[in-house]
Amino acid sequence: MMEPRTGDRVRCATGIDGLDTILYGGIPTDNTVILTGSCGTGKTSLALEFLIHGALNNENSLFISVTENSEKLLANIIPYRFFDKDLLKSGKLVFVDLPAMYDRLGMTKAELSMEEIDLLVASISSLVRELNTKRLVIDSITSVCYKLKTPEKIRDFVLKLSKALSDLRCTSILVSEVAPHSNAYSLFGVEEAIADGIMLMSNLERRGDLLRTLQVIKMRGTMHSRAKYVLDLTPVGVLLVPLLKGGSAGT
Amino acid sequence: MSDANTPQGIAAQLSELSPGSAVSLQMSVDSYLEVMRGVLDIFARKKDMDTIYVTATISFEAIKRVLDALDIDTSRMYFVDCISHIMMGTTAAQKDEHASLVESPTMLENIMLKVEYLIRMSPSKNKLVVLDSINSLSIHNNNWILSEFLHILVSGLRAKDAYTIILSVEEHSTPEIVNLVNLVCDQVIRIGKPGD
Repeated sequence: MMEPRTGDRVRCATGIDGLDTILYGGIPTDNTVILTGSCGTGKTSLALEFLIHGALNNENSLFISVTENSEKLLANIIPYRFFDKDLLKSGKLVFVDLPAMYDRLGMTKAELSMEEIDLLVASISSLVRELNTKRLVIDSITSVCYKLKTPEKIRDFVLKLSKALSDLRCTSILVSEVAPHSNAYSLFGVEEAIADGIMLMSNLERRGDLLRTLQVIKMRGTMHSRAKYVLDLTPVGVLLVPLLKGGSAGT
Repeated sequence: MSDANTPQGIAAQLSELSPGSAVSLQMSVDSYLEVMRGVLDIFARKKDMDTIYVTATISFEAIKRVLDALDIDTSRMYFVDCISHIMMGTTAAQKDEHASLVESPTMLENIMLKVEYLIRMSPSKNKLVVLDSINSLSIHNNNWILSEFLHILVSGLRAKDAYTIILSVEEHSTPEIVNLVNLVCDQVIRIGKPGD
């Protein structure tokens, strides 16, 4: 008898039709995925949609914002037709600003020590446990890494965080920022080696047209397409279609 | 004018097709208005369909004027305008909730995405997608990418049971264009000049 192609891993369906198709049903549950790309590629929108669909599916979802405050983010998600404000009231969808957490923990220095990294991981884990979070987004992990400075500290942080979240049965997306036209998947070159998955969002220029693209580079625990897809951010969410090869610039 | 070339005749031929069908509608330049009435007025109304009209030939504003002049109800029509942006004349389309803009007819993926979006937004069970026209798209795209585009677009619409009608103007078509359209279509309907 043939083995099922998708394996036995339970899936966390993102709710984004095209992406779930690419991933043969969704992100394997408990995976920590790096969602990487340069500015304006749609990372935050996709991550928010992942959480909203989770919350609508009765999975507690948590957005930890590092760069933008929650109010500004909320203003951006209201146009989504599937967004329900009651998700916020019921606590199914929770927004936390990490700078406020830094202040509470007394992490005021520009660089975190190893002890402070442990404390930060413990604090995030504790929040995830307390809220019974099943889906987590940290936007962005790059901003956290700026406070870690060295590759050793970044490795330590991402490893510990990833393990803690996985142990808590939480499927996580860590948003990572890279410079335009960068060949790396993260600014510090460390995070992607540790993550279970990498989803790359880019701007593809073709004959003067700028297309937003998405490509799943790796995803442990599942088969997946590695092709490039073009996406659009719409009030019904992220829509994806295959990139037409006949016009590919070869990038 | 033979019966088949009248708006009623065109609608009658289309009505014989099952949902999910793709039709290559090859017309002469002179038949454009009959085709508009036959497809958008009689056929779409008869099947109680929302229509998604992809225009790469003339702007949304111009096509709207034509339809208004023909007294065709456009309340259930949604337009994907691929031409206004490159003509730097997007104002009307930007203001109208029935119009979506694609920056350039070379952004074929974005045409697919807008069609997909409008299909999801449409409350109607039955849908019709009209592509006007393959000749205009061929000005901006090579046959290789056009062929790929049509294959993906039509396959997707077929899976959603939406009718697809691909318009082409015989006077402007090459055998290559005709072949690539016919390859993805279930039926070819030719609407000739009066007296043909």
